[in-house]
Amino acid sequence: MRLLLVEDDAAIQSFLKRTLSEAGYQVDTAGDAKTGELRALEGVHDAFIIDLGLPDMDGLNLIARCRAQGSSTPVLILSARRSVDERVRGLEQGGDDYLTKPFALAELLARLRNLLRRASPAHSDPIRLETADLQLDLVRREARRGEHLLPLTAQEFSLLEYLCRNAGRVVTRTMILDHVWRTRIDPATNVVDVHIYRLRNKVDPHGSAPLIHTIRGVGYVLKHA
Amino acid sequence: MRKILPTTASWRISIWTTLAFALGTGLAFGIVYLLVAHTIRDRSDAWLSGEAEVLAEVSAHTPKDHLYNRIVREVAELATRELPDERNSRGQKLNSVFFLEEDDGNESPLWIGPGSESPFLTAIQGARLTQAPQSISVEGWPTSFRVVARQVAGPGKTVYLGLSNRGDRHVLHRLTDRFLLVWGGTVILGFLIAYTSARRTLLRVEHITETVARIGSEDLSERLPASVRRDEIARLANTFNLMLDRIQFSVNQLRAVTDAVAHDLKSPVTSIRGTLESALCTEPNENWRDSVGEAIEGLDRLLDLLNTTLDLAEAQAGALRLDRTAVDLSSLTQQLIGLYQPVMCERGHDMKAELEAHVFVNGDSALLNRVVSNLLENEMIHLPHGCRINVQLRSQEELAELVVEDNGPGFPPEIGAHAVERFVKGKSSPGHGFGLAFVDAVVKAHGGSVKISDRPTGGAVITLSLPLRVLQPA
Repeated sequence: MRLLLVEDDAAIQSFLKRTLSEAGYQVDTAGDAKTGELRALEGVHDAFIIDLGLPDMDGLNLIARCRAQGSSTPVLILSARRSVDERVRGLEQGGDDYLTKPFALAELLARLRNLLRRASPAHSDPIRLETADLQLDLVRREARRGEHLLPLTAQEFSLLEYLCRNAGRVVTRTMILDHVWRTRIDPATNVVDVHIYRLRNKVDPHGSAPLIHTIRGVGYVLKHA
Repeated sequence: MRKILPTTASWRISIWTTLAFALGTGLAFGIVYLLVAHTIRDRSDAWLSGEAEVLAEVSAHTPKDHLYNRIVREVAELATRELPDERNSRGQKLNSVFFLEEDDGNESPLWIGPGSESPFLTAIQGARLTQAPQSISVEGWPTSFRVVARQVAGPGKTVYLGLSNRGDRHVLHRLTDRFLLVWGGTVILGFLIAYTSARRTLLRVEHITETVARIGSEDLSERLPASVRRDEIARLANTFNLMLDRIQFSVNQLRAVTDAVAHDLKSPVTSIRGTLESALCTEPNENWRDSVGEAIEGLDRLLDLLNTTLDLAEAQAGALRLDRTAVDLSSLTQQLIGLYQPVMCERGHDMKAELEAHVFVNGDSALLNRVVSNLLENEMIHLPHGCRINVQLRSQEELAELVVEDNGPGFPPEIGAHAVERFVKGKSSPGHGFGLAFVDAVVKAHGGSVKISDRPTGGAVITLSLPLRVLQPA
């Protein structure tokens, strides 16, 4: 997978390039919209990551210019503005996505994966998910640990399903709120942690190998040891 | 120190006023002058025409014998004396009237008048005189003469009667002299009055300017003195005072915000710094990860504080952009109660909800999510362990009413009705005082209201009212 990163802040550009490379992507970079446009039109990238505050042009204009020249590559927008511009909302409906700075790297990677998956047509929804001895039946909405049926509430099942879909990858509290509760709020209290705590009590009973792990300062990951 | 410079407004105002005044009166005088001159001329002309008629008559009917000249001369002299003598200051007779009778024959003309007849004769022959009076100038005479000619019935004789314009000119000169004297006086007086009153008025403006300049550079709490007068300048001073009130309020508000934010920022920054520093000083081990995680959590809290401050500032400045859609407040509240229920349990609170189904409002879903979650967070932060919380949603007439009540200690008395103001919080409250202020600002932007009270049986009640979504007839 080859990405184009258009970001003028050298520090952000360098750490994003490092992170994305470590995650297995090939990354090209551009420091301004003009270079970005030239590279984008080469047509070799699977996704663009574009910062809105570029020195020579608004990032949205850059996207508009690329679209006008026939590029349909999905775009992940990075924005320092807190209140999301209506134009960005419009783009979101068009299949692109945005992230406001500062963001957790886990979230950046998750959104990028989403974007790439949406762009590739050969994608089917699974009806079963498995991690180690944890099995989720998405049709009957039942979860089993080994042979044991887990007594989960609907909410807890949704939460576990989200963790399973992202098994092996870190998800942040914001991502959990966004996907499980469909709300973009920043709670000052440990609302999500209590849900995870309760879920963990059911999924990882005493004596079994724990599957749900806390990554301090970032979020949670479901993985086998 | 008064500066009387042509650049001051009072100077300019008085100059222009005086100019306008002078021009106006000058114009009025001009009209009067013309009228007077015209009237005087008409009167002289009427006299000339009448007398010339009489003289021509006399000349025609007097037999042409040796007495003819004497008779005509007598009559002419009598006629010239009809005019009142006008004399100048040196006693010279001013009116000069002449009579001339000209014959086509070679007979020398009959002449009654000042000096010799020859220059008059030349002037008359030079001008083509008619029945109507006409002005001609005569050589050797400084002023012109008004002359009328009459044909005498009979053999080719013409009589001329002339009257010097000197008298008329004298009257008009005197008129002009007096006018100029009075006009000059009034213009100067007018200028002085205009200047003094403009100066006095503008001195008050000057005073306001000086005071405002001083307030701007020194003490914002100073105010312009209130004036007993109710005129424009008093209103100007009033407006300035009102503006200063607002500025001072904003500055105080800003100071409070800055102080509070600085205070709230310092503690997380201190703890993050400390955590990272102690992590650096220890050998890398598993605790290292914890320290970094703790630092990131601290940064997230810091960010949260910044975002909330900015959101609130934006909401209170009326800069919120609402992305309105039909929002099912019932399911939104249900969802969030589901989210918060476990953490409430954890803290020993008993949360119950009575939600009317399908209560729709026309609003911004993301903001309303934050409003309801803020209300629930507010309960969680402020209630002591083990309280009852009751959330009710109902539609009443045209309003959706969301009521959150608890049996906790209620609002601290020092807060009272100010709970929704920014940074107002109880002394012992752990929050930073944004929550309800944000709720209030967002609800107001949606055209609703927030009511805050204590229950008579103890505990707090927060009531949100939002306009219900009006269903469009299909």
